[in-house]
Amino acid sequence: MVVSPVHFIAVPLLAAFLMPILAKVNKNLLRIIPGIVLTYLGYVSVVLMNRVATEGTIIEVLAGWSAPWGINLVYTPFTGFLATLMIAMSFLIWLYSFKFKQVDNQPALKYFILQMMLTTGSVGLVLTGDIFNFFVFMEIIALSSYALTAFYRDRNGAEAAFKYLLIGAFSSTLILLGIVLLYSQVGTLNMAEIAVRMHDVPTPMKVSILILFLVGIGIEAEMFPLNGWAPDAYSQAPSPVGVAFAALVVKAGVYGLVRIVYTLFDLDGTGSFLVVMGGITLVVAEVTALRQTSLKRMLAYSSIGQMGFVLIAFGIGTHEAVFGAIFLMFNHAIIKGLLFMSGSYLVYNTPNKEIKYLSGYGMKMPLISLFFSLGALAIVGLPPFAGFWSKLYILLAAADSALYGLIALILAVSIIEIVYYFRVVGRLYFGKAAEGSIMQKPTVGGVIAMSILAIAILVVGIYPDIITGYIDNAASAILDTDTYIKNVLGAVNEITPVENIIQ
Amino acid sequence: MENIDINQLLSIAVFGAAVGLILIGLYAVLIKKHLIKIVIGLSIIDAGIHLLFIAIGYINNGTSPIFSEKGISLVNEGVKMVDPVPQALVLTAIVIGFGVTAVALSLVIRLYRHHQTARIDQIKTLKW
Repeated sequence: MVVSPVHFIAVPLLAAFLMPILAKVNKNLLRIIPGIVLTYLGYVSVVLMNRVATEGTIIEVLAGWSAPWGINLVYTPFTGFLATLMIAMSFLIWLYSFKFKQVDNQPALKYFILQMMLTTGSVGLVLTGDIFNFFVFMEIIALSSYALTAFYRDRNGAEAAFKYLLIGAFSSTLILLGIVLLYSQVGTLNMAEIAVRMHDVPTPMKVSILILFLVGIGIEAEMFPLNGWAPDAYSQAPSPVGVAFAALVVKAGVYGLVRIVYTLFDLDGTGSFLVVMGGITLVVAEVTALRQTSLKRMLAYSSIGQMGFVLIAFGIGTHEAVFGAIFLMFNHAIIKGLLFMSGSYLVYNTPNKEIKYLSGYGMKMPLISLFFSLGALAIVGLPPFAGFWSKLYILLAAADSALYGLIALILAVSIIEIVYYFRVVGRLYFGKAAEGSIMQKPTVGGVIAMSILAIAILVVGIYPDIITGYIDNAASAILDTDTYIKNVLGAVNEITPVENIIQ
Repeated sequence: MENIDINQLLSIAVFGAAVGLILIGLYAVLIKKHLIKIVIGLSIIDAGIHLLFIAIGYINNGTSPIFSEKGISLVNEGVKMVDPVPQALVLTAIVIGFGVTAVALSLVIRLYRHHQTARIDQIKTLKW
């Protein structure tokens, strides 16, 4: 069977809408199908990653209409890397939530359908080469996220979801307005062609459009001060959804920002803007995380802080910095995934998910506590774990660009990070155990998913070379706008659309 | 005053209406306290943007972009076709807006059942 990037969108979308019918045939199918789909997509991404490494960027022309007219999917080393990461994380989330709502199949069906939609939207947003498609995929992500946030009826999910929906609808309005203005200026929706024609757009117009995009996508990417939705959504949604937010939704948002800033616009000063906004996001989020009493809210703020860190690195804009940023996106996905998965078992039965009830859990739930501690050590960037390398590369890049104040800021914030993570870890192992707390036994799938993530963190930490080659190609791909344009628009000559009209 | 072109006036009216709708919607979303009114405000913003998008693709005295015999003969006579791309996009955007409104209204119903009120200033279990 011929694999192509289209499968990333077509297969999960088809599966999502077939699942209600197939679930009527056999109620176990609704749990098994997402796994089959994601395994197949994992195979597709491995094949395509190998192909992209040898033959270069893959352009998939949809419905025979070539680049400037039709919609295309662009599989560069960068987008491919992110798509592969998202598929892998979706697979682990599926494994983790395999027995989700085991007694009641109706909610489980909704949950699995929405998770498939979330995967479709995130991967589609990363792969598309068309700015309006970008908007559509962002809306697919947003709609499934709203529904997943409001999943539990007994929690305050609806309130968190409505808050998220208000901000999200506002963000999509801004993005749509940006697309309208952009189309009125350049007369095309293809990202590569927009990049070509952008030079003729007057600067004030360019700045206005860029601001609309930055604010609109910044909401999905959790950029300060647009991240008010995140802590509530993370804490009210079911725990696998928190993992999906950290590993898919936010990654897609950051990708959107980077694609818009690096490829579409050629303005000076956007980099410094990203550094400043990232810095503010980092400091505000980490200081707020320190004050949190609920574990999930703490993890959510930590997630926002990490995204600020990623924005700083993308703002510096040198090859080393972008390398560090992509490495950090990868690390954040696997480490925050592990933290959310293990953390939600720790607080499974505690009131309000509060940290203070976790005393002495290290002895009662040894495996889960071990996973959580491993994640905590890794995310603050201690040496033998994965988080160390990304932090090191970003700091080195900042040093190369002579941004010493920034280095001081990052190190100072790291100390805050260590304080609030070690507070939890310390309580787990050295706190006095409270009486009568009920332990939740993790599912087999959950333990497997967490073990895979923990092993990934250790392996990447000890041998970073197994992943740096891919990240290096990815960094070159996002920085090289000319090659992107040439690859996309070069496909024009291969199929002439006129022939397809006659067909 | 005889220089004023009716088409120009019309286009000013359309663009003005679009901006006006966006501002009315923003007013409703930011000022109103009732959840339903906020959802209506979101839809009004959407409508304004759709109108703006259609107006951008419109050409004065243009014909509809349909690939038919009549359309082709009109184009041969020198009549321009309006840009079909914004119209296609607006169709998609309307569908998306419909989806968002539906989800929003279902959340409003859930909130109302949970709190027995639909006023946003009386729902504050989570920090706003």
